[in-house]
Amino acid sequence: MSIWNYVVTAHKPTNVTHSCVGNFTGPQELNLIIAKCTRIEIHLLTPQGLQPMLDVPIYGRIATLELFRPHGEAQDFLFIATERYKFCVLQWDAEKSELITRAMGDVSDRIGRPTDNGQIGIIDPDCRLIGLHLYDGLFKVIPFDNKGQLKEAFNIRLEELQVLDIKFLYGCSKPTIVVLYQDNKDARHVKTYEVALKDKDFVEGPWSQNNLDNGADLLIPVPPPLCGVIIIGEETIVYCSASAFKAIPIRPSITRAYGRVDADGSRYLLGDHAGLLHLLVIAHEKEKVTGLKIELLGETSIASTVSYLDNAFVYIGSSYGDSQLIKLNLQPDAKGSYVEVLERYVNLGPIVDFCVVDLERQGQGQVVTCSGAYKDGSLRIVRNGIGINEQASVELQGIKGMWSLRSSTDDPFDTFLVVSFISETRILAMNLDDELEETEIDGFCSQVQTLFCHDAVHNQLVQVTSGSVRLVSSTSREMRYEWNAPSGFSINVATANATQVLLATGGGHLVYLEIGDGTLTEVKHAQLEYEISCLDINPIGENPNYSQLAAVGMWTDISVRIFSLPDLNLITKELLGGEIIPRSVLLCAFEGISYLLCALGDGHLLNFLLNTSTGELTDRKKVSLGTQPITLRTFSSKNTTHVFAASDRPTVIYSSNKKLLYSNVNLKEVSHMCPFNSAAFPDSLAIAKEGELTIGTIDDIQKLHIRSIPLGEHPSRICHQEQSRTFAICSVKYNQSSPEDSEMHFIRLLDDQTFEFISTYPLDTYEYACSILSCSFSDDNNVYYCVGTAYVLPEENEPTKGRILVFIVEDGKLQLIAEKETKGAVYSLNAFNGKLLAAINQKIQLYKWMLRDDGTRELQSECGHHGHILALYVQTRGDFIVVGDLMKSISLLIYKHEEGAIEERARDYNANWMSAVEILDDDIYLGAENNFNLFTVRKNSEGATDEERGRLEVVGEYHLGEFVNRFRHGSLVMRLPDSDVGQIPTAIFGTVNGVIGVIASLPHEQYLFLEKLQSNLRKVIKGVGGLSHEHWRSFNNEKKTVDARNFLDGDLIESFLDLNRTKMDEISKVMSVSVEELCKRVEELTRLH
Amino acid sequence: MEGSSSSQPSDSTHPTASGASKFLADLPSRGLFSSTVLSSNPGGMRIYICDHDTSPPDGQQIKTNQQNILIRSLMLKKQKGDSSSKDVKGVAASESSRKRVAERAADGRASAKRATIQNSSRQEGSNSQASNRDFHTFTVDRLRALLKARNLSPKGKKDELIARLKGATG
Repeated sequence: MSIWNYVVTAHKPTNVTHSCVGNFTGPQELNLIIAKCTRIEIHLLTPQGLQPMLDVPIYGRIATLELFRPHGEAQDFLFIATERYKFCVLQWDAEKSELITRAMGDVSDRIGRPTDNGQIGIIDPDCRLIGLHLYDGLFKVIPFDNKGQLKEAFNIRLEELQVLDIKFLYGCSKPTIVVLYQDNKDARHVKTYEVALKDKDFVEGPWSQNNLDNGADLLIPVPPPLCGVIIIGEETIVYCSASAFKAIPIRPSITRAYGRVDADGSRYLLGDHAGLLHLLVIAHEKEKVTGLKIELLGETSIASTVSYLDNAFVYIGSSYGDSQLIKLNLQPDAKGSYVEVLERYVNLGPIVDFCVVDLERQGQGQVVTCSGAYKDGSLRIVRNGIGINEQASVELQGIKGMWSLRSSTDDPFDTFLVVSFISETRILAMNLDDELEETEIDGFCSQVQTLFCHDAVHNQLVQVTSGSVRLVSSTSREMRYEWNAPSGFSINVATANATQVLLATGGGHLVYLEIGDGTLTEVKHAQLEYEISCLDINPIGENPNYSQLAAVGMWTDISVRIFSLPDLNLITKELLGGEIIPRSVLLCAFEGISYLLCALGDGHLLNFLLNTSTGELTDRKKVSLGTQPITLRTFSSKNTTHVFAASDRPTVIYSSNKKLLYSNVNLKEVSHMCPFNSAAFPDSLAIAKEGELTIGTIDDIQKLHIRSIPLGEHPSRICHQEQSRTFAICSVKYNQSSPEDSEMHFIRLLDDQTFEFISTYPLDTYEYACSILSCSFSDDNNVYYCVGTAYVLPEENEPTKGRILVFIVEDGKLQLIAEKETKGAVYSLNAFNGKLLAAINQKIQLYKWMLRDDGTRELQSECGHHGHILALYVQTRGDFIVVGDLMKSISLLIYKHEEGAIEERARDYNANWMSAVEILDDDIYLGAENNFNLFTVRKNSEGATDEERGRLEVVGEYHLGEFVNRFRHGSLVMRLPDSDVGQIPTAIFGTVNGVIGVIASLPHEQYLFLEKLQSNLRKVIKGVGGLSHEHWRSFNNEKKTVDARNFLDGDLIESFLDLNRTKMDEISKVMSVSVEELCKRVEELTRLH
Repeated sequence: MEGSSSSQPSDSTHPTASGASKFLADLPSRGLFSSTVLSSNPGGMRIYICDHDTSPPDGQQIKTNQQNILIRSLMLKKQKGDSSSKDVKGVAASESSRKRVAERAADGRASAKRATIQNSSRQEGSNSQASNRDFHTFTVDRLRALLKARNLSPKGKKDELIARLKGATG
């Protein structure tokens, strides 16, 4: 890989951090607005449900999101503040469909300590000011003038330093805040302040309340007529106002989110840390609060935000599990729950760990993530491919072939679906009710297997069976002509188009027939030396009904031959090599280029460029699509031709920029496919799979498909072992029902196909699993799972004891082979020169795998290296060890074989707090740190002095805006020899927000070109709310902010393809590169993910 | 907290038909989500491409008032004082300004840059009536800067510098 890196999002953030409901897109339109850290989504509430409208990227991590209605406005404005102290006020312009910036600004202060409890941004209910709490001891006010314009902001000193929550109170003549805070004795209180805008200061408010619940951390302001505030604690809920104080005890829980149900504020939904949803009711007589009531409604995902939508529908946004659309039923279900989950919105976050596996050995990575937390923990299998949207399906066993037929030559739609079985042929047709039912075509022979069917000219249909070729009228459904196979010979394979039939009988006879009006004419016969395995005469020339070429695949000599038609002269013979016979051949044309595709019995596919005039085959390429025989069929989608390769790994072959591309189809094993474009199911495919016939449409683009394996516990580490075909995970089960929230830690073994637990090894009390690895050792052929653990004792700050456990998988069970006690937490394990390299607290330790006299094995310490604060992340390459430290950035160690010692070679002297490291190539290492930045460092082996050589030079810096937990080498797309992107090395990362991203190392020339494109795009694609892209991507931590370098924002570059033509032209002009060329180069990059 | 509702928490763990049902009645509805069959995916999400100008309207690029909170409050007090008693204006002003100097010295948090700006502006104000005593309170560096500003030689001892300055202003 290189220092010129391209960073792009393959899976967008799905962690829902904020949500709100209001009239944003129009005075009469009610919207749900969802923030997913760096994006906002705008949905419209309709009688039919939630209608997605817009997905808006924001150049910042959203800290607060609020809807508000300034005086005299008909619709709500959206206030967004980012974690890097920018804010903007957005308004929707329905006419232009644009987000207008009404105001924006910088709310940072040069001095001040950022708050520990998160940034707070609130808007006065009477719209007199915006309040921000960003730094301890300061409250920032952005006042509105009487025209609703914002004025210069100012700070007010806030005496309370440990603020937990601040809200505006309703119904106050002067803007009044209520502050929930903790004093230096850890007691919690609330206090109110009036904001005196003229004096720019606080005035002591109308009331305060001391000594609340020790877990109080959420305030809910109550709207008029009741007013006041609800204080949510862990054991009590309190209603507080100047005149009233009411409290109720609750079952101990931590409330994470609330949603107001009624406009008058008498009912609230509360979501707690265990995913339980409660209804809080303020009982009141007129305007006097008489008490509080709380009722459990049921279970949802662990909510980070709750928004009441309408008509008992509620949106639950979650950071730890899937977000949900739920309905509150008036009557409980059998389990006593009032909650009905109607829809789940996939959330991969937080991705704590993941691995890239290629279970099908296709060269395409499939990412398996440890996602979610607590009870919402799950494994997610993320795979790129084309999806089939199933529309109908019937159970049908033993399908041997399928063809669709029209009821007349001019009919635009298909009517019949011919399904062939081993000893019969059935015909399905769409009836008047648009239902698929069995019918008959009298002229067809239905007692035998059909080899081929096709529409023919003159309103005819062709059916080929082993005994004959029948020509049937599609209108009268009567047979018009029959051509019988010569006696003693049966037809083995056949193909046809609208005017031609080509068939092969035993003994290598090839027969060519032409279709006339009610006749079949045998035009030519040829005798080949071997048996014929497959045929094709798909017309790719100028005449869509007539082919001048025939492709024939042969047994015995394993060749594919091209014959001319009608004279059946051999033009080309191409020996395929190997011993696997061709099972399906297809002539096809993509983007004006003709190809011959030839599929073999072992799942390989060969493609050749075909010269249609000379029949010459050139440019042979081979790819592996699956392991079973493939059958090829063309279909069209959106007026372009695609090829469907049905096999155990169904694949769609298409072409873009004159290159063949292969996409996985999100289905298991497909035996046959045929296009079925009926009036009821336009542009559909009929697919035969595993005893089922499915009709469905196909996605026009490939995208990530996610399969969820809910675990009910929290997975933290995952590792795949190819030899045993298993995954091993470390997981934590939280026992929330017991009074003491006890945790249990496990090592679990899962089957890599079914994802079922097949074996479990429980860890000791207080023992946490920190790392897992599948490896083998020198002088031992077995493959082991190694697990590093730590004993996390409540009285210790840092663990001082841990274990390395070595397991072998035997009969699907985890067997403990060896264990070794360590003097600290084993944060990382790596296979290293046939040994085991462990990172234990501040030390790197190398273990040998020794055979004891009694034949058992043990880990024996060989050497180590001290000198880290905490060595958390380790990667190795050859003898080099790259360590990511808790707070001392990246260092490079080397293992010296002769001396048996590990020494430090170089380090980065910046104080980066690391979250992940990866080795890009021998000299370049990639790191992610806890301020959401990425950086690369380079080993300086040519340095003149020891000092220079001992320094890792920072060569790239970039603000990703995402907390990366893991890097892995690999690719989400199929790597093919004939594509340019196949040459670009990539790494994948997973983040807390559920982002899966790709880092691709580009050649320098391409990097420079794209850098130029990026800087031009910045001028055309603006940041929403006036936020600057340059600022957003600049490397930023407590110490410095510097412009991004040697990293490109792929998300911005790829949005070039979504621009309108005039904007594209604009960029093409500045770049002096044609729009087509730009599109082509950017499209190539989109194929990286 | 109240004894009367102590049984509440155990009740709330087992919702009963009588429990939440009575509170779940009359949930607000505006006619949305009313269709009996909710479509699971009505239309796709459009990715917003922001190819229009996003700079805020004039005057709506908001900045924070950089004045120190304490100074600001004192200024506000002063203004109040001004408007309330015009007679004692001079006294109050001089008093508050003296106090301000002291306070500023004590306030270590005020940034150096801002302090110098305010210092120099204050000096400009006081230059017109600069007295011998005023110059003596200045540091040599400041005197030299003032001399340079008047195109005079900044060399020599402090008394010489003051004399030269006086000659120029006087």
